[in-house]
Amino acid sequence: MARDLAIDLGTANTLVYMKGRGIVLNEPSVIALNRQTGEVLATGREAWQMIGRTPGYIVAVRPLRGGAITDFEITERMIRLLLQRVGVSRFTRPKVVICVPSAITEVERRAVTDAARRAGAADANLIEQPMAAAIGADLPIDEPVGNMVIDVGGGTSETAVISLGGIVALEAVRVGSFDIDAAIQNYIRREHGIAVGERTAEEIKMAIGSAHPTPQESQAEVRGRDLMTGLPKTVILTPEEVRYAIDDVVSSIVASVIRCLSKAPPELSQDFLVRGMYLVGGGGLLRGLAERIELETEVPVRMSNVPLEAVVLGAGHVIEHYDALKGMFMGARR
Amino acid sequence: MTIGVALMVAVALGLVVVVAVLVSRSRHSTDGVDSFRRQIDALSPEARRPVIDQMYGTSGRNEPPTEPPTEQSGDTAPDTDDGGPHGP
Repeated sequence: MARDLAIDLGTANTLVYMKGRGIVLNEPSVIALNRQTGEVLATGREAWQMIGRTPGYIVAVRPLRGGAITDFEITERMIRLLLQRVGVSRFTRPKVVICVPSAITEVERRAVTDAARRAGAADANLIEQPMAAAIGADLPIDEPVGNMVIDVGGGTSETAVISLGGIVALEAVRVGSFDIDAAIQNYIRREHGIAVGERTAEEIKMAIGSAHPTPQESQAEVRGRDLMTGLPKTVILTPEEVRYAIDDVVSSIVASVIRCLSKAPPELSQDFLVRGMYLVGGGGLLRGLAERIELETEVPVRMSNVPLEAVVLGAGHVIEHYDALKGMFMGARR
Repeated sequence: MTIGVALMVAVALGLVVVVAVLVSRSRHSTDGVDSFRRQIDALSPEARRPVIDQMYGTSGRNEPPTEPPTEQSGDTAPDTDDGGPHGP
């Protein structure tokens, strides 16, 4: 009998929690395929290392974009391989809880549950990412107080107000840290005339990217391909340039937080001033993002202790208390 | 005689149905309360402790801190190049 699983099927990373064991898998949501035969060559970290560095017959892809499945078949294969790696087989079919963005459509919901069932799950249920994040971030959502969580993921950013175990207000935008990487890539191409890859843009973001000026900033030496000559070229990039490049994306995230705040009932709004808002998700690690949100909303922003694992831990808690918490699944009360 | 027995059976059956309906109604009215209570109890800090402790160690829950908000690490890598040390 397989142990039940909770899966954070993220645009950037997939995490799997096994009932009674904890987090058993944390890998990039990437799959490498042979373009000619369709054969899977690698998944997870191994496939991630291939991005932008493959020969013509290999393609390394992220089958999820903006929190949605862009390629159903590849996603299903990726989920099947990930489940196999944690011990799921044809004869051991576990119950699975999958975290998904709250803004996904009915069609996308069905695509995720179908992919999980075909990949070996006996039963697949969905839970909203901000709800799972609030549970995993250990916020007191069982109490009648306003808890606000901001989940900045790879493809989506979601802000939710949660009280008494339910979502009171919610705001989601299909913008995340991959859009920040793309903005950096576009800026370097436009202003410096060189092409850089997805991974290099991500490294630039992690090295000198910020949403608000921070102390001890430094410049970065960026190597790419000159668009005019086709030759390798090096340019110097400043933190101010990166802030300018990603400002539209950051502003969009901040605007969605403000919209969510304005939707919250007044009784809960006053709690935020005392308790603050909690930032989770890999995108939340962008330097200066907490300060920028705090500056524009005048509400304290705090980082969760486990920003990358909060969502899967929350879903893991749901799988541990499946019967008591099954009312929290998407569609259960709608 | 037969009619009397049939009548008694019908009355008994009717009573059973009425009792069953009443029991199911009363159970129905407390179902919502019970399941909500179970859900809230399952979300309590005590119920979440085993899962949370796996990551947090023995630290407390995310209560509003008395000190200023946690700052993100301010360390910056000086330079970056292709295939640098940073993961996804």
